[in-house]
Amino acid sequence: MTPKAAGSTFSMTSEAENLVRLRKWLRDELAGHGVPKQEQPNILLAVGELCANSIQHAYEGKGGQPIQVSVRSSADSLVIEVEDFGKPFDAELYESPDLDSLPDSGYGLYLVKNIADSLSIDVARERGTRWTMVKYRQGRGPAAKRAQP
Amino acid sequence: MDIDVTQTSGVAVVAPRGDLDMATVDEVRRTLAGLIDGGQCRVLMDLGGVGYIDSSGMGAMVAAMKQARAAGGDVRLCALQDDVRGIFELTRLARAMSIHPTRQEALASWR
Repeated sequence: MTPKAAGSTFSMTSEAENLVRLRKWLRDELAGHGVPKQEQPNILLAVGELCANSIQHAYEGKGGQPIQVSVRSSADSLVIEVEDFGKPFDAELYESPDLDSLPDSGYGLYLVKNIADSLSIDVARERGTRWTMVKYRQGRGPAAKRAQP
Repeated sequence: MDIDVTQTSGVAVVAPRGDLDMATVDEVRRTLAGLIDGGQCRVLMDLGGVGYIDSSGMGAMVAAMKQARAAGGDVRLCALQDDVRGIFELTRLARAMSIHPTRQEALASWR
């Protein structure tokens, strides 16, 4: 199957119950973009964590607020954007969890950062945060290209 | 989310079925806290019926494990599906928690 390149977008509101619909949509999208089956669970998790972050922090648990997830791809990479319109993410307040101390929370963004090949945050907007996560296709990332003769 | 709780050889076996995410984690959290608060501090989470877990689900397991260990017991895990196990490995929890391939092996670890 030729992976599709055109992007598509999923819109949801900020109830946690909508995350299961998001995952169903994203599973189909990842398959359609030619993402290998073994790579799909981590991507599903990372996107779920970004949406959970929007629900919990950007909207502080308030339902009915918009979240958009879009997926597009090229021969080299998969790009996923998660966008909310709530309280912007404050990178200065974020502390990476001390995993050795077995915290009860704070694993979400740690997981996203470990799963994504690149993660950027745009908060220079009127409202909200746009997360852009990039996953390179196997053997197609910058490191792989530098290694080519 | 369906959560089955059974007692086997002094161990409470908790078997949730479905996705364990921020929409369902409170049920699991309440179940685990209820058991441990009630003096049942040996708890086995059989995750064979869980195909997806997120950071809130993992946080609930860690909180329950710490509560149980403080009371002289433990929360152990068994039957993790490959995808779920991979997520535990990403956070190093696979090393901190006692994880067993099957329910029988997990129960045997308490004998």
